[in-house]
Amino acid sequence: MRTIAVRYIIPLFCLGLLLTGCKDKEYAIPAPENAFQNDCIKRTLGPNVAGLNIEFAYAIALPATRGKIVSAQVEASIAGEAATYLEHRSYYTNGSGEDVGIAIGDPSSNEGNVTRVNFIKDTNAVTLRYFYAIPRSAQGKEVRFTFSAKSSTGETVSYSMGPYAVSRMDMVLDLPVKNGDACFISVADMAVYTEKEASANPDKIDLVYLHRAITGVTFGHALVSPGANAEYLPDVVLPPGVNKITKVRKTWNLRDFHLARLQYGIYIDDLDFEQLDMNGSPDYVLNLKSEAGTWVETADGKYRAYIYMNKVDDAKKSATISMKRYTLK
Amino acid sequence: MKHFITIISLLAALSWMGCRKETPIDEDGLLITTRAECYVSNFELLGADFQTVRTKNAVIDTVACTVDVTVFYGTDLTHLYPQFTLVTDAKLDPKITGFTDFSDLTNPRTYTVISGNRQVRKTYKVLVTVQSR
Repeated sequence: MRTIAVRYIIPLFCLGLLLTGCKDKEYAIPAPENAFQNDCIKRTLGPNVAGLNIEFAYAIALPATRGKIVSAQVEASIAGEAATYLEHRSYYTNGSGEDVGIAIGDPSSNEGNVTRVNFIKDTNAVTLRYFYAIPRSAQGKEVRFTFSAKSSTGETVSYSMGPYAVSRMDMVLDLPVKNGDACFISVADMAVYTEKEASANPDKIDLVYLHRAITGVTFGHALVSPGANAEYLPDVVLPPGVNKITKVRKTWNLRDFHLARLQYGIYIDDLDFEQLDMNGSPDYVLNLKSEAGTWVETADGKYRAYIYMNKVDDAKKSATISMKRYTLK
Repeated sequence: MKHFITIISLLAALSWMGCRKETPIDEDGLLITTRAECYVSNFELLGADFQTVRTKNAVIDTVACTVDVTVFYGTDLTHLYPQFTLVTDAKLDPKITGFTDFSDLTNPRTYTVISGNRQVRKTYKVLVTVQSR
């Protein structure tokens, strides 16, 4: 019995294994679904900040035998800003690598919460981009979207996206600051004032931007509280009433994608401001470089902010700053 | 006979392993070695942004047991992160656990270096000087 097993059964079994193990599965072209279909992806990352867009790609398709697409629309739970639109072009990439848009309908129209595109070309498959311009009214709320499309036979498809939390943060980009000129920074207004403007709003000035090249020490570009030790405000004449003590802390390697618009995929979110501990922070920061940042807490504790140095210019004694602000109270 | 040899070999191996001295470790789980050297070889001081605040290399006097460090004008001395480089196997007391306040310039902070054999202790003073205008 043992001899039979060794002589015949085991070799046969091995041969069988070899034959079955090496068989390639034949590829078969998947059969298209004979239905009106749609799909959607969200393309933007990071926190949803008022003033920015949330971008989606909405794909719609149906077999030629079932008619053509006649319209596509998106309904947002909170109406977007006027800049909200649904792309009316379908793109393909040409031989030079450029995206070429083919208009498939009229430009979209916004009616309340609904953004609609009516098709004017016979179209069976298309991917449309949707740009939802986040309104300030949505701050701290959640927003949902219902994408839908209609075919010439009256058939409809829809796809729900969300909910997406809209950040409570405010944001302002590329404010130019200049030593001795536009150098008074207001976190409350998210603006930069000149001396004359600062005199009119003394209670709103949180920081003074200055640049000094002092022999023997490293001063450079600085953000100093008006109420800080006068030693850190050399030759600065403050308008009357400008005297707040703002907590600031220098940071490096925090190049928020919204503020810096560089390749680093880092985002400051509401939670960062909520968990920020500014206890014991100084009221001045000196020697700020390009791409550095500063956490800020206003004297009244109402606002926390992150000020990013987009660009500094030693010769012109100026800089470009961007700011994200979070209201605590 | 064959089994007997196997058992004897196993017993010999076990007794050899069992008699080996355990490697000594201290209360921090660090190896206690035979090294008696005890000094700081480098010192770094970082600001809140984890960038150096030193204007130049710290001057370490291993005889007087002092670390002289000059920091940039305007450095926030209440929020500094010290980093010590020690001789092999030595350890530091107190341990560095985060940002430390160096603002009391009249009472400099002290750190004790303990040698690898845990027999030699040297207390270093960190003397911070702020760049003046």
